[in-house]
Amino acid sequence: MHGSTEVNVTGPKISFEVFGIKVTETVVISWIVMAIIIGLILFLTHNMSLKKPGKRQIIAEWIVTTFNNLVKDSMGKRNVHYAPYMTTIFMFSIFGSLISLIGLRPVTGDYNTTLAWALITFIMIQVCKIKNDGFIGYLKGFTQPIKLLTPLNIISEIATPVSMSFRHFGNIASGIVITQLLYYALTAASNAIGLSFPVFAVAVPSVLSVYFDLFTGFMQAFIFTMLSMAYIGATYPEEENS
Amino acid sequence: MFEDFLSIDTNTIVLILINTLILFLAIKHFLFGRVNKVLEQRQSDVEKIYSDADGAMKHAKDLEKSYQGMMSEAKNESAEIVKNATRKAQQRSDEIIETAKKEATGVLARANNEIERERLKTMSEMKTQVSDLAVMMAEKIIQKEINRDEHEALINDFIENAGDDLWQEK
Repeated sequence: MHGSTEVNVTGPKISFEVFGIKVTETVVISWIVMAIIIGLILFLTHNMSLKKPGKRQIIAEWIVTTFNNLVKDSMGKRNVHYAPYMTTIFMFSIFGSLISLIGLRPVTGDYNTTLAWALITFIMIQVCKIKNDGFIGYLKGFTQPIKLLTPLNIISEIATPVSMSFRHFGNIASGIVITQLLYYALTAASNAIGLSFPVFAVAVPSVLSVYFDLFTGFMQAFIFTMLSMAYIGATYPEEENS
Repeated sequence: MFEDFLSIDTNTIVLILINTLILFLAIKHFLFGRVNKVLEQRQSDVEKIYSDADGAMKHAKDLEKSYQGMMSEAKNESAEIVKNATRKAQQRSDEIIETAKKEATGVLARANNEIERERLKTMSEMKTQVSDLAVMMAEKIIQKEINRDEHEALINDFIENAGDDLWQEK
């Protein structure tokens, strides 16, 4: 497609089909991302020592302590068991976005991915509300503070996962679109001055990808995780001692 | 074949959910499980070290206190022993001196008695000799034997009256 004048931004490619299930590029790349994360975890936590932690162990301990503290601070001490899930979402999101640095389509650039995560958060919020208030209390919660607001409350409840998933998807997808546009533009510019090899397309996109992939990737992963913590944490009553 | 840029595909959602679950289990087990175990172990070790140190400190303080107690007790005891010894020695020396005094008094009394007895004995011997001498002298003077039995009483009376005071005074 080099030299093409038509800009063509597509969704994820369908890699293969088993038993009628279409497996898209997103899923295949997410397997690569998972393999990278699990490999990294195994590498970091391999041969842990109690008295003389090595560099790898220090990094592993730092990750765990940081997430434990983050969850404790935003959700309270008793909800520290959410830390592994929050770490999962954070790492999956970050590595899923950063995978674009090696030229693969980011996992988070597919709305289905962010929607899946937002659905988990949404279900968790509803389950926690029912657990804390009881089913009747949960239903009554929609009529607060006055009955007139019930439709708005339901909309705002549904808006939570929608806004979370679209925010994440939109940021990463816009990066894909802009990178693609830029790539075409730079290739066209190279062709225009009579170069057979698209020189501009080699270095310039990498500078921009620092913003679109690195910065946005970190930012969105952080925002998504923090929002999940905040929404789920808000369903619990205030803690007495902390 | 491409999906739409923005589409909802239940296949992908379900597969991503499964992937997320798998990754969650891996992170929960391998990262948090392992690291939390080490952190908790370390925490409990640190607590144990601190409590051990506190225990050792307390033990040392107790020992110090008991040693101090023992020391002062020993000091008191030794002072008591010295005092007792001194008292006993004093008593003993007093006793010895007392005994010596008594003995000396006894010896002196016995000596005095002896002297008295010796004196009386000598005196009675002298009386006898003087009476014999008187009889002999009288015999010489009157050239005639005096009947000793006849005049014994007279002579004795004389010696008794004349001599006793004289001897006594001397």
